[in-house]
Amino acid sequence: MDSAQNAEAMTAPHGRQGGKIDIGVAGGGHFIAGFLIGAAALTAASLALLGIDWVRLAGRAGDIGLIFWRMAHFTLDHVDFTLLSFMDTFSIMVLATVYSLFLGLAFGLLAARNVAGPVIAPVVKAVFTFLRAVPTPVWVLLTLVCFGFGPVAGITGLSVHTVAFFTKSFAQAFEDVPEDTVDALRALGATRLQIIACGILPSAVTQLIAWTALRFEINFSECAILGMVGAGGIGFAISAAIQNYDYGEAGLAVFLVFLFAFCMERGFLYVKKIMK
Amino acid sequence: MMNRQELYVCRTMAGILLLSFLIATYYTGFDPMAVLLHLGEAWTFLTEDFLPPRFQFTPVILESLAVTVALAISSASVAAVLAAGAAVLGSELLSPSKALAAAVRGTATFLRNIPTLVWAFILFSSLGVGTGVGFTALVITSFAFMTRTFIEVIDEIPAGVVESLTAVGASFWERIFQCVFPSCITGFISWYLYCLEVNIRSSTIVGMVGGGGIGMVLLSYLKAFKYAEASGIILMIAVIVILVDRLTDFLRKKAAE
Repeated sequence: MDSAQNAEAMTAPHGRQGGKIDIGVAGGGHFIAGFLIGAAALTAASLALLGIDWVRLAGRAGDIGLIFWRMAHFTLDHVDFTLLSFMDTFSIMVLATVYSLFLGLAFGLLAARNVAGPVIAPVVKAVFTFLRAVPTPVWVLLTLVCFGFGPVAGITGLSVHTVAFFTKSFAQAFEDVPEDTVDALRALGATRLQIIACGILPSAVTQLIAWTALRFEINFSECAILGMVGAGGIGFAISAAIQNYDYGEAGLAVFLVFLFAFCMERGFLYVKKIMK
Repeated sequence: MMNRQELYVCRTMAGILLLSFLIATYYTGFDPMAVLLHLGEAWTFLTEDFLPPRFQFTPVILESLAVTVALAISSASVAAVLAAGAAVLGSELLSPSKALAAAVRGTATFLRNIPTLVWAFILFSSLGVGTGVGFTALVITSFAFMTRTFIEVIDEIPAGVVESLTAVGASFWERIFQCVFPSCITGFISWYLYCLEVNIRSSTIVGMVGGGGIGMVLLSYLKAFKYAEASGIILMIAVIVILVDRLTDFLRKKAAE
């Protein structure tokens, strides 16, 4: 969930690479001290508001160990159901991400200032900012009401948030294409379509791949929890097994989720290393 | 341009993707055209039942909103403090032992690759529902996420800096507090803020399955077919998420200055 965020968020520590440790920078130091104090105060206020019964929570911590112990002993009584549910989750993830990729490319072009112009781009961006602000499971709950139970609801619900995500990040990638590239093509008499196909898309392609890989990881974990809010898939298998106190079955399902997420993360890390 | 190895990787990835897509389409029988045909019905449903949104600012709703935000803030902060400690032990540059570093990284990878809601479900079954359990579930994934990113930030420190401090006789604690934390704090803060953004969304969802907060209110409205009220809540969630995103963006830029 983090790797591609690197680009924007990690600019800070890069400034420090001269081998010098600039600790007492006047403005920065004050800001950081203020920030830390503010965060601590907010945290204290939040904890006071929540009023969690820590003693009771700590008293039952031993139960967690017991649950894990039971979950670590996989049972295979309903393994066919677990595997089919996993297949549902996998399919929904793949289909939602692939279809959103194409829609995201189209809307990303419309949201990029250097492609769609200064009027359309901000409007498209604003619409998708709203769509992105609502969490995926909420969208899935809405599509469940619209389309009824089944993969269609899962795919469309997951797609809403995914398209919004791709639109934002792709638009950013397109806007990062140097002005000169676009100007040079325009000066040569290229049409708008040619500028997009031969200038903008090829220059942004590595970023597009990075964002897509990131979204596959996010969508898998989103998809794995859909079952818990009422859609199908592995999340439903996990919550149903836990509610039936069938911890061995739940453990197997959780392990499947972990294994797939882990392999995907490793795979993309490997690809990233080679593409660098 | 791409070399042969890169081209090979790209082709393999495209192949896997195409194969997965075909399998998934066959398995679910999903037809995008069918969705387009149903879009009209969905649209009438949305415009008739969900619009106009009905906003209610009752004490219960305002308190649930506050609980959701408080869950996100407190879990991110507690997790950040824990993660800063774990990152020192997990970074190969600083850790007292290689084995310990590997163990910390492995644990973080395991915790991180299981979604927050799955943790919430496991904890609910052993601890019962409530904000305390929602808090714990959020802390687990935030901790694992920040441990990994904090380690990455620490690894950005040029190795020579720590080495030179060791050479002049600085103790472990001096190295941490005089060198590592001061040079990493802006990186830590920017990841903490990112985690806060993610947690606002996650705490809404954890609320739905029993963690308390606005998610629970939303789910109860949807289950009672009170769609206009539900869309009011959805808009409130969206406004809060956008506000938090704006605020964290601002603070992140400020911290990087």
